[in-house]
Amino acid sequence: MAEGQASETPTRDALEPLPLIAGAQSAESLTGSLLSPLQRKAGRVWWALFFLTLGGTGLFALAITVTLVRGIGAWGNNIPVAWAFGIIDFVWWIGFGHAGTLISAILVLFQQKWRASVNRFAEAMTLFAVMQAGLFPLLHLGRPWVFYWLVPYPNTMKIWPQFKSALPWDMVAITTYLLVSLMFWYLGLLPDLAAARDRATTPRRQFWYGLFSLGWTGSARHWHHWRTGYLLLAGLATPLVLSVHTIVSFDFAISLVPGWHSTIFPPYFVAGAIFSGIALVLTLLLPVRGPLGLNHVITDKHVDILAKLLLATGLMVSYGYLQEHFFAWYSGDEYEMAAYAFKRSGTWGWIFWLQMVTNVLVPHLFWFAKLRTNLVVVWFAALAVDVGMWLERFTIIVPSLAHDFLPKSWEHFSPTWVDFGLLFGSMGFFGFLFLLFLKFVPPVPISEVKELHHELKEALEEKAKRERTESALREKEA
Amino acid sequence: MRYWVVGEFGSGDEAKKALRRLRELGYAKDALDAFSPYPVEGLDEVLELKPSPVRWLALLAGLGGAAFAYVVQWWTNAVDYPLNVGNRPPHAWPAFVPITFETMVLFAALTIFFALMFLYRFPRPHHPLFELESFRTASTGGFWVSITTETREETEPVLGHLRELAAKKTSVVEEES
Repeated sequence: MAEGQASETPTRDALEPLPLIAGAQSAESLTGSLLSPLQRKAGRVWWALFFLTLGGTGLFALAITVTLVRGIGAWGNNIPVAWAFGIIDFVWWIGFGHAGTLISAILVLFQQKWRASVNRFAEAMTLFAVMQAGLFPLLHLGRPWVFYWLVPYPNTMKIWPQFKSALPWDMVAITTYLLVSLMFWYLGLLPDLAAARDRATTPRRQFWYGLFSLGWTGSARHWHHWRTGYLLLAGLATPLVLSVHTIVSFDFAISLVPGWHSTIFPPYFVAGAIFSGIALVLTLLLPVRGPLGLNHVITDKHVDILAKLLLATGLMVSYGYLQEHFFAWYSGDEYEMAAYAFKRSGTWGWIFWLQMVTNVLVPHLFWFAKLRTNLVVVWFAALAVDVGMWLERFTIIVPSLAHDFLPKSWEHFSPTWVDFGLLFGSMGFFGFLFLLFLKFVPPVPISEVKELHHELKEALEEKAKRERTESALREKEA
Repeated sequence: MRYWVVGEFGSGDEAKKALRRLRELGYAKDALDAFSPYPVEGLDEVLELKPSPVRWLALLAGLGGAAFAYVVQWWTNAVDYPLNVGNRPPHAWPAFVPITFETMVLFAALTIFFALMFLYRFPRPHHPLFELESFRTASTGGFWVSITTETREETEPVLGHLRELAAKKTSVVEEES
C-alpha cells in the first residue's frame, strides 16, 4: 500500500451496503483525521459543556459532603426502604459499563471487525461509569471512611470480613472490574499515544504524550507480546463482565425479599446491563461523531449494528420481565404475587408502565432498517432506554422493600434533594470525565482502524483477483 | 557503541519481504527488528519469535490468585473466626466462589500488564531511533526495518542491502551508551 496516496476504501459488497470506513482513506489520512480532535483548540460548545459538567461535579461534591457530615439520614431511605437511590444509581452506573467491555472484549474474541471504531469510546465510558458506580456502595456504608474493613487484613480488632455476605463480593468485583478495564484500555491506548506523540505540534504535547506512551516504538517484538497480552485480557474481561453483574444481582437474589429472591436475576441483570450500556454508547456517540470529524470511521453501519444489538438485548430484557411476573404467579406464593401486583399497580405503578414503554416497546422500532439509521430516532430511543433502565432498577428495589411480608412494616419512600443531587451530580461528574477524554485521548483506536483499513483493502484485492481468474477460466471454457 | 541502520518501506508486506531477505543474507534474528503502526501479520515467523511468555505467567498468576483468595476466605471465615449466621456452615464453599473467581481474574490481568511492562522495559521514554525525525512515521503510517551493528564499518554494507531492497529512506543512528 503506497503511503500518502489516497485509495478507494473497499465497501462494495451486496451483503454490506453500508461501509465500515467511508471515503477514500490511507493510513496517513486516517492518522491525521483521528488525531485532529486532540490537536484542535477546544470550541465554544466544549467549554460550555465543560462548565456545565463542572457545575454538576460541584453538586456531586456537595451531596457527598452532606452525606458524610449528616450521614445516610440525609437520604430519603428509611426502614424498610433501607436501599434506595444509592443502590439504584450503583446498579444503573455499573450496568452502563458493561457494553463497553462487551464491545471491546467479547467482540475481540469473536473477531468482529466493526468494533474497531467504537471500542475506545465504549471502554472510556466503562471506566468512567464504574468510577461513579463504585462511589455509591461506599457512601451507602454509612461510615465510608472505614471501607477498608472489607479487606481481610490482620487488624487490632482481630476480626475478619464476612465473606458469606454480598458486600465483600461487590467490593472485590468492582475493584477488579475497574482495574482490569483500566489496564485493557491503557494497553490498547499505547500505540495511539505514540502516534499522538509523533504527530504532536507543541513541545508540551510532545512531552505529555511521550510520557504516557511510555516509549512505544511499534517494534515487531513489542507487537508480538502486545497481541498476546491484549487477547488474554479480552479473554479475561469476557467472563469478568458476566460475573460482575451476576454478583450485583446476587445482592438481591440471595436475600429473601419477595421480588428479589429469584434465579432469573443473574442472566436478566447481565442482559439489562448490556442493553443500557449500548443505549448509552449510542446516546454519547451520535452527538459527538460529527463535531469530532469521525463520520468516516463511525459510519451509519456502526449505528445500524448497535441498534440491532439494542433490539436483541431489549428482547432478552423483555423476556426477563416476563419470567419474573410469570414465576411470581406460577410459584403460587402469595407474598411474591402481592409484591409483583404492587409493582404493577401500587404507588409506583406508573414507573413500572413507563419502564415497559421505554424498555419493551421502544426497542421494537429497530426491526425496521430505515429507523436503525435514522439518527434522530436512534438517539431518542437510546435516551429513552437510558432512563428506562434507571426506572427498572427503581421498580426492582423500592417497591419490593416498601411492601414486603408484613403490612405493619410497609412504608412509603420519598427521595430528598441529596438523593437527586447524587444522581444528577454523578451524571455531571461522568460528563466531565468524558469531555476530558474527548479532548486529550484519541477517541477512536487509530492503530486498529488502520489495520482494519489494510485488511479491507487486501480482502477487496483478493476478491478482484479471484474474479479475474474466474472470468479467465470461463473464457477458456467458452 | 551501537549503530542502528534503518530503512523505511511502503507497506508491511514489503518490510516483511526485506526482513526475510536480510535473514537469508545471514543477519542474526536478534539484530533485526521492524517497526510498524499496527501489527503486521507474519512478522513473528520471519523474526522467529517464540510464543510470548505472558500466557504462562497469566495462567500461573490466575491459579495462584484463585487459590490465595479461597484459602483466605476459608481460613478467616471457617478456621480463625467461624461465624454462625442462620446456622450456615462456616465453610460455605458456594459463597466463596465469587471472590475466588474475581481474584483469579485480577491477579492474571495484573500479571499480564506488568509482565508486558517488564518485557518492554517500560517506561523508557527515550529510544535511539527517536533521534531520527523521519522515524516519526513508524507510529503513523510507515514501516521500518532496523539492523543493529557494533561498529560503524559494518553499517555500510547494511545500507547497501536496504537500498537494494528498495527502501524509501535509509539512515544510520548512533546509540550512545
